[in-house]
Amino acid sequence: MACIGSGRLCARVEKLCQFGHFTQVRRKVSTACVRFRQDIPQSGSTLVQHCQNGARSRVRGVIPGSRAVSSMQTQQPGSLPEFQVDPYRLIDDDLKDVYDDIRLELVRNTSQEELKTIATYYFDGQGKALRPMVAILMARAINYHKERSDLLASQRQVAMIAEMIHSASLIHDDVIDQSDFRRGKPSVNVLWNHKKVTMAGDFILAIASMMIARLRNDDVTLTLSQVVTDLVQGEFMQLGSKETENERFAHYLTKTYRKTASLIANSAKAVAMLAGADDHLADVAFQYGRNVGLAFQLVDDLLDFVSSSAAMGKPTAADLKLGLATAPVLFACERYPELNPMIMRRFQEPGDVEKAFEFVHKSQGLEQTRFLAKKHCVEAARLAQSLAESPYQKGLLVVSDFVINRMK
Amino acid sequence: MSVNNVTANLLRRSNAVSSILYNQYKVIGTQGRQFHETEGNRFAVKTATNPKPDWNRAVSEAEKIVGYPTSFLSLRWLLSDEIANVALHLRKLVGSNHPLLKTAKSLIYNGRNNMQAWGLIVLLISKAAGHLSVDDMEEDKAAGVLHSQRALAEVTEMIRTSHLVHKGLVNIQPGVYPEASEMNDMTFGNKIALLSGDYLLGNSCAELAALRNQDLVELMSSAVRDLAEAEFVGRRDNQNNPLPSIPPADRTGYAVTEWTLRNVLSAGALLGKSCQGTLKLAGHSDEIQEQGYNFGKHLALAWQACLDLGPFTGKDQTVPFSLCSAPVMFHIEHDPTILTEIDKGLESVQNVDYTKVHDIIVSGPGVELTKQLQKEHSQRAMEVLAVFEESDARTALSNIIVAMGDF
Repeated sequence: MACIGSGRLCARVEKLCQFGHFTQVRRKVSTACVRFRQDIPQSGSTLVQHCQNGARSRVRGVIPGSRAVSSMQTQQPGSLPEFQVDPYRLIDDDLKDVYDDIRLELVRNTSQEELKTIATYYFDGQGKALRPMVAILMARAINYHKERSDLLASQRQVAMIAEMIHSASLIHDDVIDQSDFRRGKPSVNVLWNHKKVTMAGDFILAIASMMIARLRNDDVTLTLSQVVTDLVQGEFMQLGSKETENERFAHYLTKTYRKTASLIANSAKAVAMLAGADDHLADVAFQYGRNVGLAFQLVDDLLDFVSSSAAMGKPTAADLKLGLATAPVLFACERYPELNPMIMRRFQEPGDVEKAFEFVHKSQGLEQTRFLAKKHCVEAARLAQSLAESPYQKGLLVVSDFVINRMK
Repeated sequence: MSVNNVTANLLRRSNAVSSILYNQYKVIGTQGRQFHETEGNRFAVKTATNPKPDWNRAVSEAEKIVGYPTSFLSLRWLLSDEIANVALHLRKLVGSNHPLLKTAKSLIYNGRNNMQAWGLIVLLISKAAGHLSVDDMEEDKAAGVLHSQRALAEVTEMIRTSHLVHKGLVNIQPGVYPEASEMNDMTFGNKIALLSGDYLLGNSCAELAALRNQDLVELMSSAVRDLAEAEFVGRRDNQNNPLPSIPPADRTGYAVTEWTLRNVLSAGALLGKSCQGTLKLAGHSDEIQEQGYNFGKHLALAWQACLDLGPFTGKDQTVPFSLCSAPVMFHIEHDPTILTEIDKGLESVQNVDYTKVHDIIVSGPGVELTKQLQKEHSQRAMEVLAVFEESDARTALSNIIVAMGDF
């Protein structure tokens, strides 16, 4: 992290990534206080484990009511993680049947066997289930904050709806991008014809929309339908690009918000509203989701350059091949202006993809992207800390860290 | 300056803006209309099949009753970034074979299959039924419909258009387009078609949500579901064109059952549910809403039967027809040996000898039975109309049904 370029672009990005919502500039970005380790064996009974490391352990945030205000700043680099919460384990009971229930809902709504097969294809439980996980964690954290105990049935529905909208968009993306693999298996458009796949996507969206309506809450319906419009608008934005560097980055961030963050943010907001949150609390949930979503996509764009095909379940540099200039390229462009014409012609000429790939690795693009992602994670963690302390609130903190440290 | 002053100023300014916009709208509106007429004339020359009742007149008079045409191709849409984007990209496709161009054209011409008519029907039934809303602000006084009903009519058109656009994708199979340029056109066309359809669908979601009526959202979403499901019914060729299923040993009712299943899903459900939904917005009882559903469903089916008849009764009988259209289905019920020819289209319906099938059907009972089918559905729609009081909107609806064909 030491080698973050301090070029003009960085300063600009600093401004951009606050876009309108938050005025606080976080100057100190130290290593996050929460470490997520998947490989540490979890004891079944205690979900929150405090690391007992003698003198070095500083138990923070266990005193009920304390909001751990300054934890970010006081953390020393290199200190050991204090606790591990596995968000997936934490809400395992809520999450384990989500895919089954989605499949049930879809199958119940049609008598056409082929439609059933295509529509349920991606609900095989192999995905990360990031969206339902964040929605349920947020729901439980907010419920706790509002001194309620259980997860509402409607909140769990929102988690399902979020995953369904996500899958419907994946299915349509597959048709648009003509991808061959997704999540380590052949993508839908390889197995069935384009028209049927498109219709299956529409079908999933229609069922999701019916489920939204059944929640019988006007504001929740409005919030969640915003997601669908955002997704399409983001997709349209991806078709075009902007001439100048400045515009291009803003364009990229808006597109990223619409394509990825909006769904996470608005579903978090929806579960908060269902818990009876006021506008301020609903906005905390929304902003948390937005920051996590942006960070998630930034890391996704980063991994596209560094991860192996095997880990991602899809080929690397896929974005470049699709003609998309993501954050690492836009950052690299600062140092290597040769990239500009390539971005404008969408890496169409032979050798463009390889050259761009090389420039990105020679530049600070990857570090700068990680830095930006980290900023969003820190902001997400800050927001999560404003909620009442609970295992779920800790879970939200872990998620923000998990997003930045994930390898796939 | 006092707060009052500021507000007054703002109001005045926004008035000015809206009147400018309105004038612009009128200009665009009239230009659009001229275009419609020329296109319509060309179409009329081509299919001047039914000279008796004038379809175009019935529709344009009905449009006057409920105010400006319902089409969502209004100023708001022309100004949206995404539509401008699509138009730009469509230009790149001109000259290619992508069916999206045909779909786009059919959105504009003024034929019988015209999209605007669907929104129009919804508005007419809204006016014919009246509303029980007490809120004056809600009503579009001149047209006699609620603003929410107008929005619903727009949603109906958007959903229908989105479905047609998505249906117009090309199934790209490996090896079919060996030439890279052609392949690129097709891929690009699919991309634009898919996104445009999604755009309409997404906007219809948002517009429905804004009506703040969850029953309505559920109802209309179920119509979207039905449309998607329709594309999976029965046998299909490689381009997803439908083929009639193999009839069971006892063929009684085969044709009507299958034809109705397909067309209720692909047309009847949307128009029916829209009519039901608009009556819901007007605060009518469940019973009246149910009648609304029946009206829309039967009207859509009568309409479909009328369209199915075209290639067999019209002047130009070389028009390709669907292998699942009512005359074909009736003929299969009458004599299934025709399936040997039809089954040649299992891979692609283009392998079927349409002239041969056409000749067989014209000499059979299919055409006559389809006319009866259309009449039946028209009759059922008319029966529902009798429930409402006499009004200009009701007359307009019955004129449209009459204009559709022999009634």
